Amino acid sequence: MRRIENSKLYPWLLLTPTLIFFAIWNIVPLFWMVGMSFYNYSLNLGRPPRFVGFDNYTDYLDSVDVWLAMSRTFTFVIFSVGLTTLFGGILGVLFWRSTKMPGRRLALTLLFSPMILTPAAIGTFFRLNYDPTFGIFGYFTRLFTGHTLDYLGTEGWAFIALLAVDVWMWTPFMLLITLAALGSVPSAELEAAEVDRLSIWRRFRYVILPHARFIIMLGIILRTIDAFKVTDLVYQLTRGGPGGTTEVIGVMIYRKAFDALTMGWTSGLAVITLLTAIAFTAIFLYILNLQKRRRALK
Amino acid sequence: MNEQKAVASRHWKSTLYYTVLWVIVLIYFFPVLWIILSAFKTKNELLATPPVWFFRPTLENFIGLFHRDNFWPTFFNSLTISLSSVGIAIVVSFLAAYALSRFKIVGSDFILFLILSIRMVPGAAVVVPVYLMYAALGWKDSFWPMTFFYAMFSIPFSLWILKGFMDGVSVRFDETGLANNASRFHIIFKVILPQVKPGLIAAFVFNMIFVWNEFLFNFILGGKQTTMIPTLLVSDSVHEGGVDWTFVASLGAIYLVPPVVALYFFQKYLLVGMTFGTVRGEV
Repeated sequence: MRRIENSKLYPWLLLTPTLIFFAIWNIVPLFWMVGMSFYNYSLNLGRPPRFVGFDNYTDYLDSVDVWLAMSRTFTFVIFSVGLTTLFGGILGVLFWRSTKMPGRRLALTLLFSPMILTPAAIGTFFRLNYDPTFGIFGYFTRLFTGHTLDYLGTEGWAFIALLAVDVWMWTPFMLLITLAALGSVPSAELEAAEVDRLSIWRRFRYVILPHARFIIMLGIILRTIDAFKVTDLVYQLTRGGPGGTTEVIGVMIYRKAFDALTMGWTSGLAVITLLTAIAFTAIFLYILNLQKRRRALK
Repeated sequence: MNEQKAVASRHWKSTLYYTVLWVIVLIYFFPVLWIILSAFKTKNELLATPPVWFFRPTLENFIGLFHRDNFWPTFFNSLTISLSSVGIAIVVSFLAAYALSRFKIVGSDFILFLILSIRMVPGAAVVVPVYLMYAALGWKDSFWPMTFFYAMFSIPFSLWILKGFMDGVSVRFDETGLANNASRFHIIFKVILPQVKPGLIAAFVFNMIFVWNEFLFNFILGGKQTTMIPTLLVSDSVHEGGVDWTFVASLGAIYLVPPVVALYFFQKYLLVGMTFGTVRGEV
């Protein structure tokens, strides 16, 4: 026993189970996918995969659909991250001084709950809420405008309706981040600012922001990664419709793989998405380490 | 006299402030509340226009749901798959977290980076290769492959959280233990484990929620034997050409009870849980 524990390989022994999981469920499928992306392979044709080299990849460059899905995804990410940060920030400032609020724990539970519910269920709920005849939003629309509007079935509206649900789901996350960021400001410095009668803007700029910046940046990046991942919610709300106006990259991969069954073509697209996500993760860790290094210097 | 007035006015101000906050909370929660209320309505009340605000609550929808032959199997699948996969993931990542926190391992930063990236990739991009592999190996729709997949799904998160907590425990404890001739095994489980209990709780609770919530992989890789609640909610919601709204509302209401209750009791871990343990603090 002692011999094992003192050996240089001991830490690797502790890591082994994790690495086994990692190998079977990530490395193997990853190589499978990269390999498949060089083939033309459709499940519905019943033909063996045919090697096509980089054809799939050059095909994306020419494909209007792929470019549209990409630009839709980035529009979605920008608006979703921007609006959740804005609303989360406002709510965070509102709730900052609420420590003595009666029933605060329950209130925060209700407020935070949208982000811990599955997008699959949220999507289903909102299909009911958005329903032009039976839904509560459909009812309010009729009440205030006199028109019946099928939000999810109308081009132009569907994207906005989808974005609204996503913003509703994830504003609590940015609220949480804002509360944590504000909480990281030392109260002595806030009191000093109070005594010095600094203007609100200066207080924000010179007292709060230097401390809060780091947590807010981490929050925004995590939010970006999450918005980029959106699939289940869209699938459940609109299936990418109407007219493909809500087909973000995740939904496109899903539909090409499991509706059109073109596994080769889709694998290549999945590889590109994977690389994008890894790049986001690298940025996240870069900022995290930046802060650690700064703390170590202090 | 003036002082009394000042106290009274402060009291009024804070009452107003808290009332405003509560109103915001209730408006925010309304879409979920509406679904929960809908679960207690009859089909006609649920689909009535204008919507019915006051009604006599009925348990009919729940009774109907409990009598469906796929409800209980699905419920138990959700329970067993999430419990066993998270259990496995926590044990596995606890050991790995100790190794990464206490030993200088070549490329440990790179391992942590790769493992975190798994969780950052859109599910649709991961499900394609995993589907190809499961189809080729005949692993679709069976309990253990599904459970192991979710264990993998839970490892990155648990590993990051636990490593964060272990880095916070001084190496002195290990050194003292070793100096007193304790075995590593003893140190890991008797000295370090009790001190990272909050990390273990956070990892357990949030992974339970994530697996309980997972839809895409369960939908694609699963089948009759392994259907979990979100998949049932999505796939069975369409009935006789239309959407079966009483089913959606009642199953949805049951589905959301465990996550929301967990959120109430483990609220102080939410921040750690949503940021992979990278942000600590009280909210």
